Amino acid sequence: MNKNNMVRIFTKLLYCSFLIVVICAAGQASAQTTGERTLIRGQVLDSESGEPVLGATVIEKDSDNRTVTGVATDFDGNFAIRVRNTAHQLEISFMGYATQTIPINENENITVNLVPSMETMEDVLVTAEKVTETGLLNIAERNLTTSQVTIDASDVENTQSASIDEALQGRIPGVDISANSGDPGAGMQIRIRGTSSITGSSDPLIVVDGMPYDTSIPEDFNFGTADQEGYAALINIAPSDIESITILKDAAATAMWGARAASGVLVINTKRGTVGEPTLNYTFRGTLSELPEPIPMLSGDQYSQLIPEAYMNRNGVPLNTVDVKEFQYDPQQVYWYENYNNNTNWIDAISQTALTGEHTLSLQGGGKKARYYTSVGYYGSQGVTKGTGLDRLTTRLNLDYIVSDRIKFKADLSYTHSVRESNYTNGVRGVAYVKMPNMSIYEYDEEGNPTPNFLSPANNVQGGYSRTYNPVAMAEYASNTQTGERIVPHFNVNFQLIPSLLTSTFDVQFDINNTKRTSFLPQNATGRPTTETVVNRAADMDVDAFNITTKTNFIYTPTINEDHSLQGILSLQTNDYSHITHQVLTSNTASSLLTDPSVPSRTQNDDLELTTTFSEAKDVAALVNFQYGLLDRYLINVGLRGDGNSKFGPENRYGLFPSVSARWRASGESFMENLDFVDDLSFRASWGQSGRAPQYDYRYFNVYGNFESEYLGMSGVYPTNIELSNLRWETLTGKNLGLNLRMFDEKIMLDVDLYQNRTEDLMFSNLDITTVSGFTSMDQNVGVLDNQGWEVGLYTTPYESDNLRVEFNFNISRNENIIREISEFYPNEQGQVDRNGEYKRFLQEDNPFGAFYGYRYEGVYADLESTQARDANGNVITGPNGQEVYMTFNYPQTDYVFQPGDAKYEDINHDGTIDSRDVVYLGNSNPKFVGGFGPSVTINKQLKLLAFFNYRIGYDIVNETDMRTTNMYDWDNQSAAVMSRWRNPGDETDMPRALFGAGYNWLGSDRYVQDASFLRFRSATVSYSFGDRFLERLKLDDFRMFLTADNIMTFTNYRGQDPEVNMRGGDPFGIAIDNSRTPPTRRFTLGIQTTF
Amino acid sequence: MKINIYKKLIFLFVVPLFISCDDALDLRPQDGIIREEFWQTKEDVQGAVIGAYSALLNSPPGVGDRPIPEYQFMWGELRGDMVLPTADASRDERDIATMNILPTNPLTNWSAFYRVINFCNTIIDLAPGAQEQDPTFSQEELDRFIGEALAIRAYMYFTLARTFGDVPLKLDATLSDTDNFQIAKTPQVEVLEQVALDLQEAEAKVPESFDTNMASKGRFTKYGVNAMQTDVFLWLNEYDNAIEAANKIINSGNFELIEANNSWFQTVFAEGNSSESIFELQYSLQNQNPFYNMFVERPRYLVAPTVLEGVFGINRDEPDEQDIRGERTSMVASNATIYKYSGLNSSELKARNAFDTHWFVYRYADVLLMKAEALNEIGDGEQALSIIEDVRERAEAIEMTAMPVSADDSDAITDYILAERARELAFEGKRWYDVLRNARRNNYERIDLIKSMAITSVPAELQQSVLAKLDNPNSHYLPIYFYELYANKALEQNPFYE
Repeated sequence: MNKNNMVRIFTKLLYCSFLIVVICAAGQASAQTTGERTLIRGQVLDSESGEPVLGATVIEKDSDNRTVTGVATDFDGNFAIRVRNTAHQLEISFMGYATQTIPINENENITVNLVPSMETMEDVLVTAEKVTETGLLNIAERNLTTSQVTIDASDVENTQSASIDEALQGRIPGVDISANSGDPGAGMQIRIRGTSSITGSSDPLIVVDGMPYDTSIPEDFNFGTADQEGYAALINIAPSDIESITILKDAAATAMWGARAASGVLVINTKRGTVGEPTLNYTFRGTLSELPEPIPMLSGDQYSQLIPEAYMNRNGVPLNTVDVKEFQYDPQQVYWYENYNNNTNWIDAISQTALTGEHTLSLQGGGKKARYYTSVGYYGSQGVTKGTGLDRLTTRLNLDYIVSDRIKFKADLSYTHSVRESNYTNGVRGVAYVKMPNMSIYEYDEEGNPTPNFLSPANNVQGGYSRTYNPVAMAEYASNTQTGERIVPHFNVNFQLIPSLLTSTFDVQFDINNTKRTSFLPQNATGRPTTETVVNRAADMDVDAFNITTKTNFIYTPTINEDHSLQGILSLQTNDYSHITHQVLTSNTASSLLTDPSVPSRTQNDDLELTTTFSEAKDVAALVNFQYGLLDRYLINVGLRGDGNSKFGPENRYGLFPSVSARWRASGESFMENLDFVDDLSFRASWGQSGRAPQYDYRYFNVYGNFESEYLGMSGVYPTNIELSNLRWETLTGKNLGLNLRMFDEKIMLDVDLYQNRTEDLMFSNLDITTVSGFTSMDQNVGVLDNQGWEVGLYTTPYESDNLRVEFNFNISRNENIIREISEFYPNEQGQVDRNGEYKRFLQEDNPFGAFYGYRYEGVYADLESTQARDANGNVITGPNGQEVYMTFNYPQTDYVFQPGDAKYEDINHDGTIDSRDVVYLGNSNPKFVGGFGPSVTINKQLKLLAFFNYRIGYDIVNETDMRTTNMYDWDNQSAAVMSRWRNPGDETDMPRALFGAGYNWLGSDRYVQDASFLRFRSATVSYSFGDRFLERLKLDDFRMFLTADNIMTFTNYRGQDPEVNMRGGDPFGIAIDNSRTPPTRRFTLGIQTTF
Repeated sequence: MKINIYKKLIFLFVVPLFISCDDALDLRPQDGIIREEFWQTKEDVQGAVIGAYSALLNSPPGVGDRPIPEYQFMWGELRGDMVLPTADASRDERDIATMNILPTNPLTNWSAFYRVINFCNTIIDLAPGAQEQDPTFSQEELDRFIGEALAIRAYMYFTLARTFGDVPLKLDATLSDTDNFQIAKTPQVEVLEQVALDLQEAEAKVPESFDTNMASKGRFTKYGVNAMQTDVFLWLNEYDNAIEAANKIINSGNFELIEANNSWFQTVFAEGNSSESIFELQYSLQNQNPFYNMFVERPRYLVAPTVLEGVFGINRDEPDEQDIRGERTSMVASNATIYKYSGLNSSELKARNAFDTHWFVYRYADVLLMKAEALNEIGDGEQALSIIEDVRERAEAIEMTAMPVSADDSDAITDYILAERARELAFEGKRWYDVLRNARRNNYERIDLIKSMAITSVPAELQQSVLAKLDNPNSHYLPIYFYELYANKALEQNPFYE
């Protein structure tokens, strides 16, 4: 309580200090106005011909080069200008002449002779030191005390990707980016140094042009049957608009951005106008995507042989095909025969080869005063699953106007329109895998004639919606469209309060992000009777988010002397985020053509919806940050950030988060002077804290809600939650040790970092609490979590000459996720090993999570003899009456006796029964190493070859696809691997017998655990820039063509389709389970880029 | 001078902006009500009371557990001998029916009940504050609301104590995460005594009737409280009190047994709120019951094969002579489906989108038979038998099911009452509790009642193990759901399931 008060007072003090600065500065700025005006006359002549110059511009400029007033010369080259101050200067300019600046003389008549000039445009000076605009202090890369990486967009511009996150995949050590799904428009999961929170978002904060940029969709928005991750908004910035991307990794760097930055920061800067004549840039990319070969599944004939066999094996009773007509195969029963004697490949039926086209047109240029960059892009993409696609239109306008040497402003405007088509449910591909292959896609009528109708029975032996349905009908008839409109205007004023000493910037950004989801589930997609609410179900969901972000910076840059350098910043940031949602979900519209929920339809059932919400959250922050350098060798950076957030109650509303970091440039010391080849050798150390706010708004209030249903005609009110007065900031404390080495004129660059990020007061949303309280869950701070590891990045240029340049980059990293402390109320194990398909997971303090336990698989019991129970010495165990004992499962509770052909598990303790005591450690889903590498070769500065590989080494995943497609346990179709199943005593095989709905043939065992280490040839690009002569002929400035192939080849021992499987974030019991079944597509891209 | 004005202006406009940042961060939900703003008027309190009733019918929006009547049905019938779970029932439901009950069975989760308890506690704690705010809020109205909350809470604890035995007793509202939820169990008898105490207080506060018949049946009146009192006193073995409570209902003259006729089923069950009804949960066309999914669409429960003959009886000589409570009231014999909650009249089912049959908590016949049970326990077998006769007569019970017992054979009368209750209250979620209540008296003198029920309902291969389990009285109560033990360290599992 006391501490909290102090924090609050301190935060306020920070604010006050700003005010003082603002007031002083404002006073200074306004102190310079004077009154009287003086009339100056003059004439402008051509210095060579002596002719008057008509239309030349004459402007009065103050000492900051700000235009005060201006006139143009008349027909005789004469002008008259009333100047405000005779201490100002006059600037005379005209096209084709050199601009002249002359002092204003007391003489009232001036003659100016303009010298004709060919060169009127200034050359752009490229500064030697690489500085990245981060929106706060801009520090040269060589002086950074924190761990951050910048990559130029040109490094990744050749890859085909809808969004820059995909393009970054595997390129930066410590940054793990993976796809949520192979469908177009699906978001990417970005993790910087692991998952630092077990709840809520571990996504990094995106900062675009110095301002935070939201990528999430509000929690209370109904995503329908699709999951939320599938909807994660893309970073909707056209990749070609991006100039550079910087990733801030350690806590000292992210501490500056506060609550939302606890999982790292991605700083994106877009292209801006440059001084020069307008250049028009056009880029086209066309891509062909296709699925790799799917897992071979049984054909209809093989399937209809398997099922009766499995059924018979259960208890010797054969499948009654009189009742189960799906397997009757009786040509007399025309309807059943025609519809259920097929060999349908459902996967092929829902797949397509997809085409993607992208066009971007940009215009860039500017003069001394104004500069502009503007672009329009269109991205149209189909998915490899029918019914999926993405259309997107992006536009951007970045304007810079230099009012004077002291005042500049920027106005940026971006607009994105996107339409994303998805399947109604995520599971279409999953259903297609297991759908009965003997069933027809289209229905045959009673006479056996094919009809154009999809075969969608309400129910068949395999079940009904939502477990199974006709996937082709679902993909083609059911719709799910998400439309997004996003406008982001951003205004910035940069004002030098005291030239070269104190600069202030004021930013305000509005972010209007509207998303609409409409979906419709027609009757013929599910086949269910028209009385059910899953028939003709129409949804219209709308979420309108509005975000105002402001930032006020005061940057202090004194020049002391050569030995000392100092920079400081005071920053004041506010953010106000509000959103409204409207959601309508109705069912049973009169016809499958009436797809809008506003037509008369049913609304009153529990599973239907009619809701609106409004929610708002605000945060404010004050930040102070100083960087001091001594002798260019010793650098230290200290920062302090105070945060206030409306999601907390008054008790815990404010948080104070310090950071400190330092860099020692050893190469600058005298003892290293002799090592000429070392450009820079530096050691870095940092420590910093940042806080994370909870996900939901208003939780510190006891909120009352309304029952949707009435009672006796009245509506009831009830408390929806517990008031959370205990919830505190989740604090992330990061420590980082780093090394930067630059050698041989930066031909070898090495960055090494070692880190530990500790999350304290770990927040857990909806942790189950005792229901005696009347509630089932609440948000709590439950424990301590560590993420620790190291990362190495190596960037080399092994060979460089005039005609040839070879580069090679390599990165590798390792991260471990460890729970250090956890509330005793948090359950410590999960998974019931007495059920098929489950693995045991434990939550043990001081152990990384992601480990799983299960049985050891030993193949198949070939015959009766082999099912005898044996003790440790291999002798058959006998019962009290001397009878032979056979192996059982889970004696005495379950007491299933293993039969010949059943799966055989290792009896670890040799007690003759397989139970939880035989469960052993099987694997861990944490990769030991992840990273990427790749060479690039440039020949003659014209031909460029790029290759990129990424890898993950040393992790195990549970191949659930394998499990589900070889268990032979129900009516689901199985993979072709089950053709080798055990059938008769004596069969030697690894595949157990088919056993319908019984037995323990697919317990969680090492049979499905596979090492998923892989090396993937991620992309290869050939690009060719045409030579000058060719360009002249075409009257182009630049013309480049490129060809890229993505996901070319994967080297792995993993037996599934794609070894790149994520651990489910936010769950300490999450392990990597491969059940997505949608592998990354192989893509070929052809692109051209021209500049006019 | 100019500078000064400028400075002052900035000060005036900018400084308050920042100084008030505490206020700026103090955001309140705009589309919900918070506790600080609620509890101002009598309408607010009424809304909260209706909320507590609503929670008896449905889970609140976004909460995934089952409606309370569904738990009542499963807990009261699955372990009994009148219901058979089908293949469409979940494994968890079938496990309860075969007494293979584990703490991991989610059907042992009591969260829906404690949620309602907390709603009631909130009303009891906070409604008096609203009366202080609202001058038009009379003491009488406040009493009525609090009385209803007490009665609903009593109903919940009564159910929990009968189902789980010892349960945690929480009598104050959960408001903030600073409250203590680590509450140990209270012995069953103390819970029942608390229920009796609450009912006594409620009886004094609730009215005899509300302004509409629907409200008088759908909200707790004095008679609803008296009915539950009768029940509670039977569990506490306080028979005189039970008879006294039952007599208050009988002597009021507001209730009657409706004579058997063609529309009897329709009047009593399909429409509900008849003169036979004391307290019913009022499902309606706008708020339909969960029974369509349970009994009709893909039925999860069917009538056990022994019921038709064993409970209602068949007169093979006179097939038309039927107990009106059997065929086409409780069940449809031809397909063994439960009819009580889905019939529109004796011949038709209700339409799919018109499932509004109520859940019957107390009916007049129930109270009469409870009174008979109490009378039998105090040795007045004669009166007990005459009540049974009254009930049977109006139901046209067939001769075959009549039991010739003498007035001093109290065990036989107990059997008779139980058999009559099975007929009268079939599928109303009472069977298991009725048998358990009678079996446990006098230190489980009649444990045979439970055992013989198990023999008829459990598959033969499991009978031996089930009978062995039932010897331990702790097995008659459900285990505490395993997750509850993680979250509440003060709880101890029912020893039978450890």
